[in-house]
Amino acid sequence: MSKRYGSTVALASLDLEINRGEVFGLLGPNGSGKTTFIRLLAGYLLPTSGRLEICGCDAVEQSLQARRMIGYVPEAAPVYGYMRVREFLAFMARLRGMTGRAVADAVDRVIAALALQAVADRPTGTLSRGFRQRTAIAQALVHDPEFLILDEPANGLDPRQIIEVRDLIRGLAGRHTVLMSSHVLGEVAKTADRVGVLLDGQLRGVRAMADTPDLEAWFLSLA
Amino acid sequence: MRALGVLLRKELLATFGSPIGYTVAAVFLLVLGYTFSLTLFATKVANLVYIFHQMYVLTILLVPALTMRAFAEERRNDTLELLLTAPVGEVWIVLAKFLAVFALVLGMYLGAFAYALVLDAHGAPDWGPIASGYLAIICHAALIVSIGLLMSSLTENQVVAAALTLGAALMLWFADSVSYLLPPPFDVLAINLSLIGHFRPMVTGSVFVSEAHTDKGQAERRYELCFRQLLQLRQFA
Repeated sequence: MSKRYGSTVALASLDLEINRGEVFGLLGPNGSGKTTFIRLLAGYLLPTSGRLEICGCDAVEQSLQARRMIGYVPEAAPVYGYMRVREFLAFMARLRGMTGRAVADAVDRVIAALALQAVADRPTGTLSRGFRQRTAIAQALVHDPEFLILDEPANGLDPRQIIEVRDLIRGLAGRHTVLMSSHVLGEVAKTADRVGVLLDGQLRGVRAMADTPDLEAWFLSLA
Repeated sequence: MRALGVLLRKELLATFGSPIGYTVAAVFLLVLGYTFSLTLFATKVANLVYIFHQMYVLTILLVPALTMRAFAEERRNDTLELLLTAPVGEVWIVLAKFLAVFALVLGMYLGAFAYALVLDAHGAPDWGPIASGYLAIICHAALIVSIGLLMSSLTENQVVAAALTLGAALMLWFADSVSYLLPPPFDVLAINLSLIGHFRPMVTGSVFVSEAHTDKGQAERRYELCFRQLLQLRQFA
């Protein structure tokens, strides 16, 4: 598939398949097209040409159905500042179609999983960057999606939080399919099962991490 | 419909949790109370025609402050990305925002109903023009809120959104003044676009189905444009 903004090509003939249950790392410098690709997958943007399929659903023709299977954390980790963490998570759960007791149970589950107990009743607008990022990840997981999309999930986190988020993502592998983007090689190397390198809107290569002992050297050879 | 309920609850929380709503309502009722007292003591006539004209002007001036944040703030805070990637139709997102702001405006108008009750307690007002006046101002508010939402969806700057709404509403207010310069059928179009041209007869008790239809039609058109703007965001954002 391709994505153009007028005469500017943001993504050129990108052809990629992500396997069910794997953690796929998308690596590339700023401006390489990672966020555009992720926004296309999340349904925020429409492709200019080509086809996008999510868990068997056409992401354009069956957009609502495809979006039900997605949990998405945008790069800016947006939250509604006037809502408390618990309220925000419950709102996102209801927005994804959950009802009744299932909402409260799901909110409790993700609060525990992301260690948000200490801030659960605080307005999201008063949270530190780290807690805000974790709240944003929690909203993406609250409806237990099949496919989790994380745009730069380690942004703004301190080293301890980065390790916790990394462990969380690794823990999701198998039950969920995860796509994470990053411009930090080390993060992708420690988290992903497979990695793709995106440069200037083109997918230059895809490899299993098990076959890539030196990710840095491979990346530099493509760049 | 369930998605509308979830979104409307969130929008009402944002609208009624923000000091902007209360400030606008307070200013609206304060200015209206001042005008009502002055007009009543000066004319000693039990009608609300002046008050409805005042409400008409205040709606144009104040509603942009209520609608400016609707989409502009969501875009600036990147929360629009959360809404547009959730499994809900864009139409519910727009409708929830419309209903939340419209509810606040209706609340303001309900507060202004006290003036009609004061007239009724101390005089014998004709309730026909009061009812048609309320119908006119409610249609007018629906239109201005729709224009405000459209403008808010075009930019992430709230001040720009408010200025565009105010500009569009003022242009529509005076649209009929250019009609004598235009050739047919554009002269008729300009006259029909005029807000005051439709509003004035209604507040004096002359209700024509065609007038109400025009206001409703314009509001629906703005609402539809706002909805389309959201769809276009996916293509060009």
